[in-house]
Amino acid sequence: MRVFRARFPWIATFVAAGLVLTLRAQTLKQQRLEVVNIGLPAVDLGLRFDQMRGPDGDDSSRRQAILASLQPAAAAARPAATRVLVKFIEGLPAAARLSAVADVSRRAVMATAPEYADFDIVQVGANEDAEAVAQAFSERSDVEYAQVAHTFHKLLVPNDPLYLTSQWNLPMLNLERAWDIQPQAGSTITVAVLDSGMAYQNATFTPTLPPFRDENGRLYPGLGRVTIPYAAAPQLVGAAGAGRLVALHDFIWDDNEPFDFDGHGTHVSGTIGQLTNDSVGTAGVAFGVKLMPVKVIDSVWDFLFGAPNEGTDDTVARGIRYAADNNAKIINMSIGRTGPPAPAVESAIRYAVSRGVFITIAAGNEFEDGNPTEVLAEIASRVQGAVSVAAVDRARAHAFYSSTGSYVEISAPGGSGRGFGTAGGVFQQTFVPTFTDTFLLPPAQFRAPRFDILDYVPYQGTSMASPHVAGVAAMLMQQGITDPAAIEEALEKTAVDLGSPGRDDTFGFGLVDARAALRGLGLAK
Amino acid sequence: MKRTCLLLSVLALASPAAAQDPPSLSIRPFVMGAEQNFTAADTFEAVFDTTRGPFFGGGVQVVVFDQFVVELGASRFKQTGERVFRTSTGSVFRLGIPLTATITPFEVTGGYRFPMWERVRPYVAAGVGSFAYQETSDFADPTTENIDTRKTGFVLNGGAEVRLHRWIGAAADVQYSRVRGILGSGGLSQQVGENDLGGVAVRFKLIVGR
Repeated sequence: MRVFRARFPWIATFVAAGLVLTLRAQTLKQQRLEVVNIGLPAVDLGLRFDQMRGPDGDDSSRRQAILASLQPAAAAARPAATRVLVKFIEGLPAAARLSAVADVSRRAVMATAPEYADFDIVQVGANEDAEAVAQAFSERSDVEYAQVAHTFHKLLVPNDPLYLTSQWNLPMLNLERAWDIQPQAGSTITVAVLDSGMAYQNATFTPTLPPFRDENGRLYPGLGRVTIPYAAAPQLVGAAGAGRLVALHDFIWDDNEPFDFDGHGTHVSGTIGQLTNDSVGTAGVAFGVKLMPVKVIDSVWDFLFGAPNEGTDDTVARGIRYAADNNAKIINMSIGRTGPPAPAVESAIRYAVSRGVFITIAAGNEFEDGNPTEVLAEIASRVQGAVSVAAVDRARAHAFYSSTGSYVEISAPGGSGRGFGTAGGVFQQTFVPTFTDTFLLPPAQFRAPRFDILDYVPYQGTSMASPHVAGVAAMLMQQGITDPAAIEEALEKTAVDLGSPGRDDTFGFGLVDARAALRGLGLAK
Repeated sequence: MKRTCLLLSVLALASPAAAQDPPSLSIRPFVMGAEQNFTAADTFEAVFDTTRGPFFGGGVQVVVFDQFVVELGASRFKQTGERVFRTSTGSVFRLGIPLTATITPFEVTGGYRFPMWERVRPYVAAGVGSFAYQETSDFADPTTENIDTRKTGFVLNGGAEVRLHRWIGAAADVQYSRVRGILGSGGLSQQVGENDLGGVAVRFKLIVGR
């Protein structure tokens, strides 16, 4: 059963709960997490068609990989149309056809007659206007029709089954036509996801779970030493294993194993780079990117497992600098806080942007809770090269939770269950909450979590909006806009204006239009 | 340009050819090559990496009493560049999406030839042109995102014609053209505030006829 929930309120609740735990935090944090990097693969509760999908095999992967590697060069070298298809009248002798070609153009050459065609192919001369040649043929009495052989583009509509049924959010960004322009979808770009980690590897954990009290003072029993299975998200990591993941790091545990014990980071990562067009599950925005999971926020389980660090300003600032120093080109931060300024984080953001990194930051989910200013998002609004991202629902309206203010710069789909039910959420593969959030059960039913059961779970929040923009930014950078400030300007100038004309405090400059941003401008259009 | 002036000077000083008496009416076809510096410099620089481009064409001149001339000409400019993004600070990022622009002017001018020297005729002319403009790019919706339009503009030119032979002449001139209504209403030209498709061209003609 899919449970539709806003994630941040729960996290906030249990971080707060940590403050009233009867057992002292120091006691918990003396533990170290024992991990064996061996585990069974995920139990995927989502849709699967692997038994009947030939194209899903290795051959298909190779075809796509080779095509993707060839397409950039092909696009750059693509010549103007040079072939004209000519249908001569039935029975016209070969000599007469050659004579007709010579009449029309001295530089044109008749190519070998192709199979399965009722027309001849005429190769026009260098610098010759193929349209004019086709027109000249058309005007002849011995020609039925003539046309230039124009190039077709594949119209990529991902075959991931949930893309068609549930992912209203991606077409909203005009992504299908953006993928036509860039089928590689960011393959040379590394996107750092500063979040709760990522389900990147199969493993088994053997922590000792101590007793604790929840926010209401209820005592949860200690479970002692438990074995917890953990699995990589198959649609995130894929058959390439860790090949698409680079420079993983965990600032909560101070190691290079950023296991996600929440599901938030895995979901966010999926929106950016979920494997796409593989006939399984959902699609991602920039499905070709390399992902750099950098864990900078902790979850309830990190706390209970005894993580030495928390997701505080210093952790986040270090994470930003780490990503910038390890060649990330885009950083997504679906995280935030209110309260006093964060100069350490601002310094890190400015450092990263100065290193050529574009940063997307969630604008906040507290519109109905006093609408306080989100500190990180407000920083983004003052840094050209970082953007704060508000959320819209599937009707392109303001998502009920999305914070507003002068710092909101742009909008993207964040999902909303209000009025839409689960269909209004943003779907990606992540842990099934009923197996992970066992601390939400009554104490008598409390049990160890399982991090090996995954499904396509609807989330809502500006946390979900931000990675959409990060994905589009990755594609923009691959397309040639290499300066973070220019990426921000391109996103804002090409956005679809929503709300009041021009920039406003609800939608910023409007809804991101991936295709318009990627396509840029011509001389007159 | 220096070479051209030198060539014209040498030709002007050369000994007269035989039978120089001009006819009262002369119809003279010509071919032409030109290099135009576009007024919309920022737009062309961004897309084509240059503000200049060549035109090739030809036409016919009607000369009356060796002094008055009416010229009908057509030419074409065709160049492929890339679609771009240009920041408000002027940085240009090329996006790897091929864009081809074609300009095809049809011009009618009337002018006066100054009978100053026997073999050299300085001239000035003015006229109007109908400028066809096509812009196509990859991934464009052909019906809404490519451009195929035509607008009227005006031209002014001045230069000199030199007799190379009784039946052959050469001319060089500078032409200024102004074409509104094509650039400036969309795309990069709108963003940078450029609305003139014309420019200043240096033109060379080879003329057949007396």
